[in-house]
Amino acid sequence: MEILRSDNITMQFGGLTAVKDFNLTLNKGEIVALIGPNGAGKTTAFNMITGVYKPTNGKIYYKGSEITHMAPYQITKLGIARTFQNIRLFKDLSVLENVLIANHLHIKSNVFEALLRLPKYKNEDRKMMRKSLELLEIVGLADEKHEKSSSLPYGKQRRLEIARALATSPELLLLDEPAAGMNPTESEDLTKFIRQIRDDFNLTIFMIEHHMQVVMGISERIYVFDYGITIAHGSPKEIQNNQRVIEAYLGVDENA
Amino acid sequence: MIKMTLDMFLQHLTNGISLGSLYALIAIGYTMVYGILRLINFAHGDIFMMATYFTFFGVLFGGKWYIVFPITIILTALLGMLVEISAYRNLRDAPKISILISAIGASFLIENLAIVIFGGRPKAFPTIPLFTSVVHIRNISIQRLTFIIPVVTVILLLSLLFLINKTKTGMAMRAVSKDHETARLMGINVDRTISITFGIGSALAAVGGIMWGLKFPQIQPLMGVMPGLKCFIAAVIGGIGSISGAVIGGFILGIGEIMLVALLPSLTGYRDAFAFILLIAILLLKPTGIMGEKISEKV
Amino acid sequence: MKKRDYYLTAISLILLIGFIFYADNNMDAYMVRILNLCAIYTILGLSMNLINGFTGLFSLGHAGFMSVGAYVTAILTLSVNAKVQNFFLKPIAAPLSNVVWPFFPALLLGGALTALVGFLIGAPALRLKGDYLAIATLGFAEIIRVIFTNTQTITNGALGLKGIPAYTNLWWSFGIAIFTIVTMILLINSSYGRAFKAIREDEIAAESMGIDLFKHKVLSFTIGAFFAGIGGGLLGNLLGTIDPLMFRFTLTFNILLIIVLGGIGSITGTVISAFVVTIAQEALRFLDQSINLGFVVIPGVAGMRMVVFSILLMLVVLFYRHGLMGTNEFSWDKFLNVISMKKPLLKGGRK
Repeated sequence: MEILRSDNITMQFGGLTAVKDFNLTLNKGEIVALIGPNGAGKTTAFNMITGVYKPTNGKIYYKGSEITHMAPYQITKLGIARTFQNIRLFKDLSVLENVLIANHLHIKSNVFEALLRLPKYKNEDRKMMRKSLELLEIVGLADEKHEKSSSLPYGKQRRLEIARALATSPELLLLDEPAAGMNPTESEDLTKFIRQIRDDFNLTIFMIEHHMQVVMGISERIYVFDYGITIAHGSPKEIQNNQRVIEAYLGVDENA
Repeated sequence: MIKMTLDMFLQHLTNGISLGSLYALIAIGYTMVYGILRLINFAHGDIFMMATYFTFFGVLFGGKWYIVFPITIILTALLGMLVEISAYRNLRDAPKISILISAIGASFLIENLAIVIFGGRPKAFPTIPLFTSVVHIRNISIQRLTFIIPVVTVILLLSLLFLINKTKTGMAMRAVSKDHETARLMGINVDRTISITFGIGSALAAVGGIMWGLKFPQIQPLMGVMPGLKCFIAAVIGGIGSISGAVIGGFILGIGEIMLVALLPSLTGYRDAFAFILLIAILLLKPTGIMGEKISEKV
Repeated sequence: MKKRDYYLTAISLILLIGFIFYADNNMDAYMVRILNLCAIYTILGLSMNLINGFTGLFSLGHAGFMSVGAYVTAILTLSVNAKVQNFFLKPIAAPLSNVVWPFFPALLLGGALTALVGFLIGAPALRLKGDYLAIATLGFAEIIRVIFTNTQTITNGALGLKGIPAYTNLWWSFGIAIFTIVTMILLINSSYGRAFKAIREDEIAAESMGIDLFKHKVLSFTIGAFFAGIGGGLLGNLLGTIDPLMFRFTLTFNILLIIVLGGIGSITGTVISAFVVTIAQEALRFLDQSINLGFVVIPGVAGMRMVVFSILLMLVVLFYRHGLMGTNEFSWDKFLNVISMKKPLLKGGRK
C-alpha cells in the first residue's frame, strides 16, 4: 500500500536546480534508501517532503492527500518525522526534555488546563513521561535522561534524535545519514536497530545514507541521485550492477 | 487635504530631499555594519549625536569650519572604531541576543556620558552663513544647505561605491561580509576590516551630523535616538546590506515624512510613528527590502 | 515535591507575610515604596523573561505593554473629580468620565487589554526573527506612545494623568509578584513551557517536532504582555502620576538589565536581580547629585546613574554572559547543600 508519493518535485534556488523531477513512491513498511554523491540534492528532497522547502514544481501526497504546501509542523502531525544530517537537538535541554517536547504536538489540554494542572493535563503529562522513558530505554539512553543533550557523545546524540522523532508517533520516518561517523560495528548495530524499530513501531523508513554496508544490508529499494537527477532506482542488486550508478558514484567511491 | 500650489509643493519636495539625504548618510552606516557583522549597531545614532557636539565645541573654541569639520569627521570615525572594539569584538562568536544587548548598552552609555559631560539641556549649534544663509527663488525661500546636502550625499555615495567596488580595502570588506572564516584564510585581517567599516560608517554619520546640526540648529544628548531608529528603518526599507538600498530608503523615508505632514497636517503628531508603520509594513510584505538579497538558513 | 520542601516553602511564605506585615506598619514611606518597586520589577522582569529568555524572542516592546496597563488601570480608578481636574484642555470622552472602578477589576482589565494588544502586535511582528523582531517591537512600543500622546480625550495626551489613587501597597505588589512567580513556574514546567524552550533552542527542529511556532510564540508573547500590563497598572497606582514620556525605551532597558543580570532564562535569577537592580537604582541616586571636584562642579544630572548601569550591562554581557543564574533555578536541595557546604569550607580555612 502506498504511503507517500511525489510527482516530479523540483527545487530551484535561483538559477541552480538542486532536485529535478523526483518521482518517489514509498510503500507501507518498506525501508528505502536515497543515495548519491555529496551535494546531489538528497537533503533538499527531504526538506521538500517535510515542508521545510516548498517545491518549485510538482506535488507530494501522503496517504493519498496532498501535503505539498503544508507547514513542517502540520506534516509532522500527519505522521512524518525526521532526523537531521547535522544533528539539531535542543542543546541546552536535558535528554528527557528533548523527547518530551516531541510529544507536545498531540496535546489536547489547552494552556490553562496545563497551568492549573487539571486532571486532564496531568493524565496527558503522565502518558508523555511514560512514553518518553520507554523510548529512551529502547535507544539505550535511559541512564543519561537528566544529562544535557549536548554533553552526549556523537553516536548517542544520533540515537537521541531518532528517539525524539519516534516520540512524535510517526508512520513514516526520514533518517538523514543515521550512520554518519560510525565504525563498522556501530553501523551493524544501527542496521539491526532500524529494522527493529520498523517492526516494533510499524514504520516506513526512508533514509539518506553513505555507508554502502548499511544501505545494501537494509534497503528494499534504492533511489540514486546525481546532480539532482534520479539516475537509477531499483533493488540493491540492480543498483550495484547499474552502469550509470557505478560511473557516477560507486565506481569512484568503492573501487578507489 | 489642503490645496497646494506648485511653489509650496516644490518647497516641501526640496525639504524632503534634503532630509532624505541626511537619513541616507546615516543609513549607510547601519547597512555597512549589518552587511559585515549581521548586527544592528544601536549606538550608531549616538555616534551621530557625538559628531554634532564635536563640531559645537570646535567652533566654540574658535575653530574655522574648514578645520573643525575634518577634525569632527576623524574623531567620530575613531569613536565608531572604539565602540566596535570595546562592545562587539569580544562577542564575535556569542549568541546574537548577547551582541544586541551589548549594542543597546553601548548606546545607553554614550547617551548618558553625553548627558553627564555636556549636560541635558539643548545647545544652539553654530550657524555658518556659507551654508545657512537663505536664497530666494520665485516665491520660495530656501537655505543654501538644502541644495548642498543632496550634493554632498551623492558625492560621498559615489566615492563609497568606488571604494567598495574598486579598491583592495573594499574587496576585503566584501569578502568579510560573505564569510569571516574564509576571508581570514585568504589572508585578510578580519578585525581590521571590520574596524575600517565602522570608521567609514561613523565618518558618514559625522557628515550627516554636521549638516543635521546646521539644518536643525539645536543639539542635545538624546537627539540621535529618533534619527538613529529612523535611519535603521531606512536601511531596512532599502534592503539591509545594500548601500544604494540605504540611500533609496533614506529618500523614501525623508520625502514621505515631509509630505505626510504637508498633506495631512492633522497627523503631524503621528510623524514619528510613520517610520515605524512603514517598517512594519515592509518587513511583512518584503522583508528583504527593495534591494536586499534573500538569506535563508541551511537545514 | 518532597514533604520537607513543602514545609520549607510554607515557612518561607509565612516569614515573608510577617515581613510584609512588619514593613507595612513600621517602615517609612520611602522604604515601602522601594519594596513595592522591587515587587513590581519582579513581575515585569518575569514577564519579559518569559518572552525573551524562555521563548527566545528578542522583544523590546515592554514599555509599550506597561503603558497600556498603566493607562487603563489609572483611567478606570481615577475619581470623577480628579478626571475633571486632569482633563482641563479637553474633557475626557463621555463614557469614561463617570466610570470609577475598584482597583482589582481595573488592574485585571488593564492586564487583559494589554494581552489583547500583545496579541494584535504579535500576530504580525512574530513572523519576524532576531534583530528585526527587536526593532519591530521597539517600533510598536513607540507607536503606542505616540498614540497615547495624541489621544487627548482619553489619555490627556502629553500632560499625563495626575492624582491616580495610591491603591498599590505591599500586599498587592507582593501578592501579585508571588502569583506571577507561581504562574511562571507552572507554565515553564508544563508541556507548553517545554515547547517554548524548544523554540528558543532551535526553531527548525522545534517545527519539525510538530510544534506550531507561530501559535506558541503568540501565546508566550500574549501571556508576557498580560503580566507586563499588570505590572504597569501597579506602577501607575504606586507613583500616582503617569505620562507618555515615562514609557520610553529607557524603561524597557531597565527591565532588560534585570533579566540579563539575573540570567536570561532563569526565574530565580530574575527575582534576585529585580531586587538588586531596584535597590541599586535607589542606592546610586547620590551619583546624580552634584559632584564637586574642587576646580569643577559636575552638575547634578540624571545621567551618572545610567552610565553606571550601562557599563554594568555591557560588562555582564561581555564577560559574564550567563548572569547570576544562567538557566539554573532555585531548589531547596541546592540551597541546603550550599548552606551545609559552607561549614567544612570555613573549617578548612581556619587551618
